[in-house]
Amino acid sequence: MTVLLQIDQLVTELGEGDSWMRAVDGISITLEAGQTFCLVGESGSGKSVTALSVMGLLPYGRYRHPQGRVRLFDQQSNSEDLLLADDSTLRKVRGGRIGMIFQEPMTSLNPVLTVGEQLEEVLQLHQPALTAAERKKRVINALKEVQIPQAESRINEYPHRLSGGQRQRVMIAMALICEPDLLIADEPTTALDVTVQAEILKLMRELQLKHGMGMLFITHDFGVVAQIADTVGVMRKGKLVESGPAAEVLTHPQHEYTQSLIAALPERLQKPNRPIIQHDVLLEVRDLSVYFPVRRGLMRRVVDNFKAVDQVSLQVNSGEVVALVGESGCGKTTLGRALLRLQEVTAGSIFLQGQDITHLAAKPLRRLRRQMQVVFQDPGSSLNPRLPIFTSLLEPMRVHGVGHDDDERKQRAAALLDRVEMPTDSLWRYPHEFSGGQRQRLAIARALVLEPKFILCDEITSALDVSVQAGILRLLRRLVDEENLGMLFITHNMGVVEYLADRMAVMHSGKLVESGVTQSVLKTPQNDYTRDLLAAVPRLDDSLQLRWGR
Amino acid sequence: MTDMAIQRSKPWSAQVLGTLFKRTGARIGMLWIFLLVIVSTFSPFIANSHPIYMVVDGQASSPLLRHLDPIDWVWLAGFFMAVVVVFLKLAIWKRLLLWLSAIAVSALVAYSIASPPVLVIYEQYREMEAAGNIEFVLRAPIPYSAKDYLRDYGDTGIESPLASSQRLHVLGTEENGADVAARMIHASRIALGIGFIATGIALVIGTIIGGLMGYFSGIIDIIGMRLVEIFEAIPTLFLLLSFVAFFGRSIYMMMIIIGITSWSGYARYVRAEFLKLRQQDFVQSAIACGLPLRSILFRHMLPNGLAPLLVAASFGVASAILAEATLSFLGLGLIDDPSWGQMLNQAVQSSTFNWWLAVFPGGAIFMTVFAYNLLGESLRDAVDPHTRKGH
Repeated sequence: MTVLLQIDQLVTELGEGDSWMRAVDGISITLEAGQTFCLVGESGSGKSVTALSVMGLLPYGRYRHPQGRVRLFDQQSNSEDLLLADDSTLRKVRGGRIGMIFQEPMTSLNPVLTVGEQLEEVLQLHQPALTAAERKKRVINALKEVQIPQAESRINEYPHRLSGGQRQRVMIAMALICEPDLLIADEPTTALDVTVQAEILKLMRELQLKHGMGMLFITHDFGVVAQIADTVGVMRKGKLVESGPAAEVLTHPQHEYTQSLIAALPERLQKPNRPIIQHDVLLEVRDLSVYFPVRRGLMRRVVDNFKAVDQVSLQVNSGEVVALVGESGCGKTTLGRALLRLQEVTAGSIFLQGQDITHLAAKPLRRLRRQMQVVFQDPGSSLNPRLPIFTSLLEPMRVHGVGHDDDERKQRAAALLDRVEMPTDSLWRYPHEFSGGQRQRLAIARALVLEPKFILCDEITSALDVSVQAGILRLLRRLVDEENLGMLFITHNMGVVEYLADRMAVMHSGKLVESGVTQSVLKTPQNDYTRDLLAAVPRLDDSLQLRWGR
Repeated sequence: MTDMAIQRSKPWSAQVLGTLFKRTGARIGMLWIFLLVIVSTFSPFIANSHPIYMVVDGQASSPLLRHLDPIDWVWLAGFFMAVVVVFLKLAIWKRLLLWLSAIAVSALVAYSIASPPVLVIYEQYREMEAAGNIEFVLRAPIPYSAKDYLRDYGDTGIESPLASSQRLHVLGTEENGADVAARMIHASRIALGIGFIATGIALVIGTIIGGLMGYFSGIIDIIGMRLVEIFEAIPTLFLLLSFVAFFGRSIYMMMIIIGITSWSGYARYVRAEFLKLRQQDFVQSAIACGLPLRSILFRHMLPNGLAPLLVAASFGVASAILAEATLSFLGLGLIDDPSWGQMLNQAVQSSTFNWWLAVFPGGAIFMTVFAYNLLGESLRDAVDPHTRKGH
């Protein structure tokens, strides 16, 4: 095998003036042609910075490399040190010999240029000898290669006409159009739904086989690693703690950090023994529909309805976690918001402890809100950035008359912080001083101050690292079991469902396609869509079994 | 619970102020505005023909204090209340409310109690001094009032700085013979007052209308935006001109008209911020907690949408000052009371070009507008995390 890329003792420091932070701390990687090297790690471990260092794409003047070499070899084993290369050499290498795919398909294409123009531009720059007709042919071929239907007409379309998966395909086509030796993919499937992710991963493997290129694949998902990697490097705080053949590292991790990461995968988490308790019906939804009217014309006439939630019936018992699963845009978040009466309901009814709250007036509803609370997805905006945690926790208590005076409320808030495993002095801090996982814990505490009966969790762990996610999942399960809460947990992560949920419901384009006890739905799905969804989930154990028979 | 009070973090406002004070532009701007505040508060003590303290025939008196207008007393009360309020440990909106009510009370008291003599003869002190009746006199640094036309000196008129040998006019005199420095110092009040009051009115109207539009959206938003468009179509200057033509000249009318025609920009800002904030998770959580509308609007949304508003307001103050200066320059400002724009007008009125009447008031207008713009610029950088250093 020929060596394609060799990174020797690379150190990258970010910062300016006198303050420098070491983002990559002496990592060495060797990548061979036709092979895939997966860099795995949690957020902030330096995996993206490594990729950007190779490409020379770090912000100008804000980085330095005190030591290290990044050598790119060509077929004749001539090497070029990318860290020392000047701008014009780097420009030739980028796009020409190294292609790159970024994480966010929604923003990585220029919205004012057609897909064809953007692909053609790359060719124009790197292969100026081609004529216009040849370029067009290459562009169409590239789009066909990434399996975009009707490539001939699609080249004249703007990015907004394409779905997220299609845009990521176009990005891959753009990265591959000059037939690079090396493809760097920075979390290329993280923002995509699992079924789309499965297709994209399959496509990338096929293209790699066809072109024989090397791939540096960055991800945080061990399921994806197991599917695509030949070699794995595990990064932590800028250091490569472990690297080796994928099968070895995944089945017998040597370093304790790798071990802890794999143990923190939700499907590997040890399930606690659950007390057997009598479940009462807490929340019941009957034939709930939420339509968004589509208006057209001068008079804004309603011509059609977009059925975000279509006749969904659901039941959540106390002391039970019900997982609501589905891909993006299936209406699961809208359903959650409708349950809490944050969203107007078109038809159907919602019962909370037997009381119909579907059309409750604003004032009695405000009192009732104490019974049902919500934790949202984005840790960045779940807490008011201008208020200290103290105020965020105490204000709802004050409004609902929990506790006699502020002293008692403060005691309660402190006790709650203890319950969500946060230090007491968090009370006097502001949200920006906490990490994402801590903020989600605080948001859970804020939901708990009113002692609700029902909590809605909308993808609350999807923005978090696996080890942090594991902590939050354990906390949630404990809270549900000990406080006899009812919880509707919206997620797209099957591992989380398996660990946390007693029952699960699968949504697809506004409709509830399947529901039942978690284990039976996961093992023997009845519905076709559920089957596809479950098959697309990259699971560590399945992939190990499939690829290496372990 | 005692260990809970150890680690308190700085609130956002303190952080913004901290970054603001580190910027040279903001420092220069605030220094000038602070200077302006001091000068306009103590203008009767800095430039006045009435002696601060004098002894006539063994009788001590303070003609200056006796001649202080109610408005002078209100300014002084406002200034000292501001100093007190700054050091109080209260919420910002409570402090503001306290300060405003203190000003209202002092205005009521001042206008009912203070009654300076209606007839003012500035010459009497100079004549008494010339006659040798005065045993001891302590005068203001600039011993001329803004409306003291120096008739006792005979035929005084327009004079360039330091032209006269008997009197000291550092910045010269205007066509009636009044001291330019004294007039500029008294005019600083108008510049400061019109900026703050007009912008204050606009801010209050704009925040309320914009906030309602942004939070409720739908039909309220549509009506509100039409209202904004109507007010944006009104040319402020021509409205001012016609009001002055119909109802005579009044500084308060000017402030109110500038205020109620310039709120539309603030309303747009607040609306945009509120539309964005309404979908934020913490606002949704606040609604889900059953918090009252008042708290959601003013505690959870407004402080998060305040930043662009403050920046726009500091530019708004500058443009209000310019509007008044323009009006005075056109000769439609105040009749007898001094204003920087009106002095600029005098610079070109007589047959010759009187440079000192153009340079000093013009420079003051320039510096004030410049100071507010500097402050606005720095404020924008301080509240915007993308341009803040270290990010």
